Amino acid sequence: MKSQSDWIWAGVTAVMMVTALYLTFVWVPMERTMGVVQRIFYFHAPPFFVAAIAIVVSLVAGIRFLVTRDFRFDELAVASAELGLVFESMNLATGPFWARPVWGIWWTWDARLTSAFVLWLMFVGYLILRRAVDEPTQRAVLSAVLTVFQAVGAVIVYLANRLWRTQHPQPVIAGGQGSGLHPDMWLTFVFCTAAFMVLYLCLLRHTRRLERMRREIEGLRRTVHSL
Amino acid sequence: MEENLKWLWYAFSVAWVIHLLYVVTLGRREAKLREELEALRSMVEDRGKK
Repeated sequence: MKSQSDWIWAGVTAVMMVTALYLTFVWVPMERTMGVVQRIFYFHAPPFFVAAIAIVVSLVAGIRFLVTRDFRFDELAVASAELGLVFESMNLATGPFWARPVWGIWWTWDARLTSAFVLWLMFVGYLILRRAVDEPTQRAVLSAVLTVFQAVGAVIVYLANRLWRTQHPQPVIAGGQGSGLHPDMWLTFVFCTAAFMVLYLCLLRHTRRLERMRREIEGLRRTVHSL
Repeated sequence: MEENLKWLWYAFSVAWVIHLLYVVTLGRREAKLREELEALRSMVEDRGKK
């Protein structure tokens, strides 16, 4: 059953998403070299930043679980990691549609793209691990440890085109001298990131609730077996 | 221009198909979990009475 706050979250997300679409497709100025295809940037880069935030949430929740052994933190960690996979998939899936017309190829194994793919595999690995381990405490501990590697992976993805020569464009955000965006493009990028962030928070409420239900089911199964 | 618009549309569609599929699976998972939860609760209640 949906609560009033669920509807408020859904409403705010919908309004922000529609505004983000307006900014992306209508308001933001056309990039001179790439033209209309550059607009993919506004729903390619923000999902990566949201996936990175999802990892931070998962990492902090995992560490808190290790300290307190409170399973509510494990619920938050897995709910956030699952959403991280969704947003990282969105980031990976949209990139090739920009690369094909601009580079003439769908994909290349440069440092940025490869590290992003490895990060995606880590998300998949995390969820496989959750299904593979039955004992709840062991599962939560192993997941928390894996999240540390994910966090390192996300940092490597972020730094890849700063540390190595890549086919992927050089950074336009915090990229140093000569980089940067037109103020309207910057505003659109920031707004799109905020909209995806609100979408993440809206979905996180739901996935957390599902994890709570799953944990309750595990508890009830144990009770049924012991009766 | 029109050629590039096609790529923008593909990328946009793929991004939202991923989200829509995820939301659909969330809904199905919730229904399944709710059903299982109810079944287990009534099972525990029945066994408790016996």
